[in-house]
Amino acid sequence: MNNTDKLGTVIKSDVLVLGAGGAGMCAALKAKESNVDVLLIDKCGIGWNGQVPIGGGILAYVYPEYAKKWAENVTRQSNFFNNQDWTFAFGNYMHKSTMDLAAMGLTFLKNKGDINILNWGPNIYVTLFDAPKSLVALKKTAKARGVKMMDKIYAIDLLKNDGRVVGAVGLGLVDGKTYLFNAKAVIIATGNCGYMHEKTYSSVLGEGPAMGYRAGAQLVNAEFGSSYVWGIKTLGKELMGIHFYLYLENARGEKIMGKHYPELMVGKHSVYTFDPRVIDAMQKEVKAGLGPIYLNLMGLSDAEVAGLAEDRVEGLTQLMANDTMKLLREKAGINPSKERMEMWARYLYGGGGLRIDINGKTTLDGLYAAGSASSNSWSGGGGGQGGLGVQSAAVTGFVAGENAAKYAGENSRLDINVEQAKGMIDRVLNPMKHKGDVDAAEVAYRVHEAVVPMKYNRQREASRMKEALGIVQDARNKLSRVQPRDFHDLARYHSADSMVIAAEFTYSAALMREESRAGHFREDFPQRDDKNWFKWITIEQRDGAPLLATLPVPVENYRWKP
Amino acid sequence: MAIRNYDRKKCNGCGICVACCPMDVLRIDTAAKKAVIQYPKDCVACWGCESFCPQGCFDVSPERGRGELVSPY
Ligand SMILES: Cc1cc2nc3c(=O)[nH]c(=O)nc-3n(C[C@H](O)[C@H](O)[C@H](O)COP(=O)(O)OP(=O)(O)OC[C@H]3O[C@@H](n4cnc5c(N)ncnc54)[C@H](O)[C@@H]3O)c2cc1C
Ligand code: SF4
Ligand code: SF4
Repeated sequence: MNNTDKLGTVIKSDVLVLGAGGAGMCAALKAKESNVDVLLIDKCGIGWNGQVPIGGGILAYVYPEYAKKWAENVTRQSNFFNNQDWTFAFGNYMHKSTMDLAAMGLTFLKNKGDINILNWGPNIYVTLFDAPKSLVALKKTAKARGVKMMDKIYAIDLLKNDGRVVGAVGLGLVDGKTYLFNAKAVIIATGNCGYMHEKTYSSVLGEGPAMGYRAGAQLVNAEFGSSYVWGIKTLGKELMGIHFYLYLENARGEKIMGKHYPELMVGKHSVYTFDPRVIDAMQKEVKAGLGPIYLNLMGLSDAEVAGLAEDRVEGLTQLMANDTMKLLREKAGINPSKERMEMWARYLYGGGGLRIDINGKTTLDGLYAAGSASSNSWSGGGGGQGGLGVQSAAVTGFVAGENAAKYAGENSRLDINVEQAKGMIDRVLNPMKHKGDVDAAEVAYRVHEAVVPMKYNRQREASRMKEALGIVQDARNKLSRVQPRDFHDLARYHSADSMVIAAEFTYSAALMREESRAGHFREDFPQRDDKNWFKWITIEQRDGAPLLATLPVPVENYRWKP
Repeated sequence: MAIRNYDRKKCNGCGICVACCPMDVLRIDTAAKKAVIQYPKDCVACWGCESFCPQGCFDVSPERGRGELVSPY
């Protein structure tokens, strides 16, 4: 037994993938095509884990001949603030990625044997896949191709040697073992930070960006991407369906959308659950003292309620809306046709992530990132196109997998540095020596008080954001009084710590950006300021503290110029 | 309590609920080949186990497990 073995169970591979969701699964499958040894781990059980199986099964699609125009549109919509190289590559990859996923076993909605490509709006296309079974199908292919997999391992820190990332530390949630993974290349695919708030987004809690940061990798765009949807308060869940907005009313029973957006009341419109206009109207009404906001479907028949969710693409949001109505009736004892329901704006998740280049590589050698744990600065979106979450997980996963495998093929293995590993494991296990009776969940709930309210995170303003940072600091103080008793508790502790870090980074970057742009709105700087702020904000650890810096958008090297 | 009811008799030990649970609430009792609710207080009521269990063993409450939801306003 050598010194490393004394620290924990050592497991070697060429490529190590942390997180087996949409991005991690695609990364592992693609890496394996280069015939390297691939190990994929997840804190849950692979096949049923992460956001994809419980998701809507919508996958964005772009026809290859339209890809260039698509990328140009996205670039113009984001006022040239995106990483055009990535946007262009992404647009071009979507067709291939969709076909690859089908070849890897994903079941798509088909029409006469071909994948049904559905028109969702002007030049907006999506495909639909069988979400609940999607990862089980991909797992089957991964297994057949020789990808190794481990379930119920919670990844928490990266191992380095000589400036290179050489592996990761994991906690065996079931077996209680400490694992030291040693690899030639590591891919972080554990997602961004959902803060355990919107409950169906609880699988991603920010560990990936946090561990990358601690290892010295750069994060980018932390101020963007915080998003709100609207949903039913009792269920704590968003409400899909494009015509429900017509039935939103204030405490006095006045229809609120017509008041603020009269144009939406004439003709037919599709207003999705993530449409910011609804959140705006709700917020204005509550601010004016006219809250709470209700959804009033009283007097409508079941068929009429179902009709409200009928989408341009048949079945798209209708199924989800019907599920919600079923939940209301069967679980909450609420009959939507008989009583009005209180509605809330619901915070989904914070943005940003590990900065990646066009090869999916982070700023550290040996470290790659994919999916929502990464940020390739193509913020600005695809003009309201649905299905971009899974598609960008797939594309960034394929890209990171391919390049991590290439790197692993070209570089020899570096051993784990025993001293560094020892320090790392001490850091990871140390909280178990804490004394106190605070539950890790209390820390998370305190963080919610800082990230959820729109007065802090949607209508941003310097003094209020400082107040929010004070709440986050209080949450951090609480952490020292959390005393984990086993690895389950320890994982909860580190998740709470990661949420604290995510919130700190979001507000630090949001305070720095003294302008308004995309989803980042500053009440005290309401205009876009291209003169001073045509740059991305990066965060990196320097002397033990976060250093925020700016990086001008390299638009002179790009295809399209303002 | 977020899991209102778990029907242990119906459980076939397939482990799907353990696999999907984002909060590590559930575990398998390997000897009895049954799911166990090991950390009930950490359930966030995401309905994962309820929707994926092939035997229909779970009834999860519509509300969140615990912790007051913070107002978004
Ligand atoms: C309810 C819902 C509906 C959605 N519907 C759609 C849709 O229809 N179309 C669409 O495009 N997008 C949709 N999305 C968004 C989409 O699912 C995500 O954008 C996408 O899955 C992100 O991929 P990912 O691989 O980065 O994260 P995930 O797929 O969530 O994977 C992250 C994985 O990492 C694991 N993990 C996390 N932390 C650790 C750790 N510390 N150690 C080990 N493993 C860890 C998790 O268990 C998880 O398996 C939806 C999301 C939700 C929640
Ligand atoms: S998914 Fe259902 S049947 Fe399978 S182990 Fe869990 S409770 Fe038992
Ligand atoms: S409802 Fe969700 S969090 Fe609760 S036990 Fe089931 S899968 Fe886990």
